[in-house]
Amino acid sequence: MIAKKVLLVGNFGVGKTSLIRRFVLNEFSEEYISTIGVRVSSKIIKIDTEEIKLLIWDVAGTSADEKVPKAYFLGSSAAMFVFDLSREETYNNIKNQVDIVKQLSGLGTITVVGNKKDLVTFKEIEQLKKTISISIDLITSAKDDENVEDAFKELAKQSLN
Amino acid sequence: MEKTTVDHKDNRFELLKELLLADDRKDFNILRDEYLEREKFKVKVAPVVDEKIEDLKENFPKYFGKTITETIKIQIRDSQDEVVEALYPIMGKLVKKFIIAEITKLTESINQTINDKFSISQIIKRLFKGKRTDADDVLQEVFEPIIEEVFVINKDSGLLAGNYSRGNIADKDMVSGMLTAIKSFAKDSFSKDGQDIEDIKFENFQLSIQNFKTIYIAIATSGVISSDFEEELLDNINNLAEIILRDRSYLTDEEKLNSIIQKTLIKTE
Ligand SMILES: Nc1nc2c(ncn2[C@@H]2O[C@H](COP(=O)(O)OP(=O)(O)O)[C@@H](O)[C@H]2O)c(=O)[nH]1
Ligand SMILES: [Mg+2]
Repeated sequence: MIAKKVLLVGNFGVGKTSLIRRFVLNEFSEEYISTIGVRVSSKIIKIDTEEIKLLIWDVAGTSADEKVPKAYFLGSSAAMFVFDLSREETYNNIKNQVDIVKQLSGLGTITVVGNKKDLVTFKEIEQLKKTISISIDLITSAKDDENVEDAFKELAKQSLN
Repeated sequence: MEKTTVDHKDNRFELLKELLLADDRKDFNILRDEYLEREKFKVKVAPVVDEKIEDLKENFPKYFGKTITETIKIQIRDSQDEVVEALYPIMGKLVKKFIIAEITKLTESINQTINDKFSISQIIKRLFKGKRTDADDVLQEVFEPIIEEVFVINKDSGLLAGNYSRGNIADKDMVSGMLTAIKSFAKDSFSKDGQDIEDIKFENFQLSIQNFKTIYIAIATSGVISSDFEEELLDNINNLAEIILRDRSYLTDEEKLNSIIQKTLIKTE
């Protein structure tokens, strides 16, 4: 089976850890992440007929945060940038942040995910899509388990390219 | 008795004076009154003022300390060099205090770093301990050294290429990833020249990490580790690395890699 390292990045509190929890369902102490700023989880996902083992790196803090060792971004096959649909400060600089992740990881494309769908209206999402400087790949809710599996599937697909 | 201006020279002079200086006298009277008023006021107020001054002398820090501290803080922040330069000759003591406080802070942060380092070994310990009990550890201690785990890990991605496991670590892939992250973290935070962690020891458990160009090999051992054992292990690891790096197909074929690990390092058949 092939294994791929994938990253989840995005501002504090956008729901990265919640998405991973929802997807992976194996609990792992939060201490680890606060000490070294990352937590690695694994999950096998099936894309068409192929099974892929995803090693998901949950990188705490923003990508621009100096505290996060640059090495965390190395050797990854895909990355998801998560923002919070209900908090503008998590996406008003999104293009820049995604570019930084691209630079650090060397990846050409980043899966952009707007989380906390349950906290905003359809209208607000439409409005947001118009104002945002980047296209959103998926709209999720870790809370209501909406599109979470799809988001990771997208990530897995990206990792195969 | 009636005053006559005719029969007394002095009186006349006084009269003349009165006539000529009437205006000045008026001014003088005003001044005098004002002065007397002030004197009266002073007598009344002085004790209060004295009291206030005494109070200020005693409680100055209480009344103004916060404001002054804030002001100094802002000043120092905005023009650190100038402020220190200006303050130093006048308030050498204060500056000294400030420097001591800074050094104390620094010391604390160094201690914090050491604590973090300690907690990293705690993390690694828990990662590797798997489901084994403390009783197992105690029994192990009297025995000869044993190789518990061998991980061959891709350096950048942290992906596990192959391994040997005596124990039962729940999620080897996760352990490889975490170990790689910890290595990067330690490299970034602790060492001056970007040196890697190589040995981590706690109790009767030891983790040795050997770095190669694209991979690293982590070996967890337990028991009493003699220098002979350590030397032999190091030789074997280098041999293993040589085999793998000469034939990269090992890195894509997990089974093949696992068996070569077993053959070069464990040798029990
Ligand atoms: N309403 C709502 N809350 C969410 C959602 N996802 C995460 N949260 C909450 O947002 C907070 C931060 O989530 P967390 O996963 O720790 O964010 P991280 O810092 O990106 O890892 C927590 O209180 C979560 O419960 C969601 O989809 N909807
Ligand atoms: Mg988190």
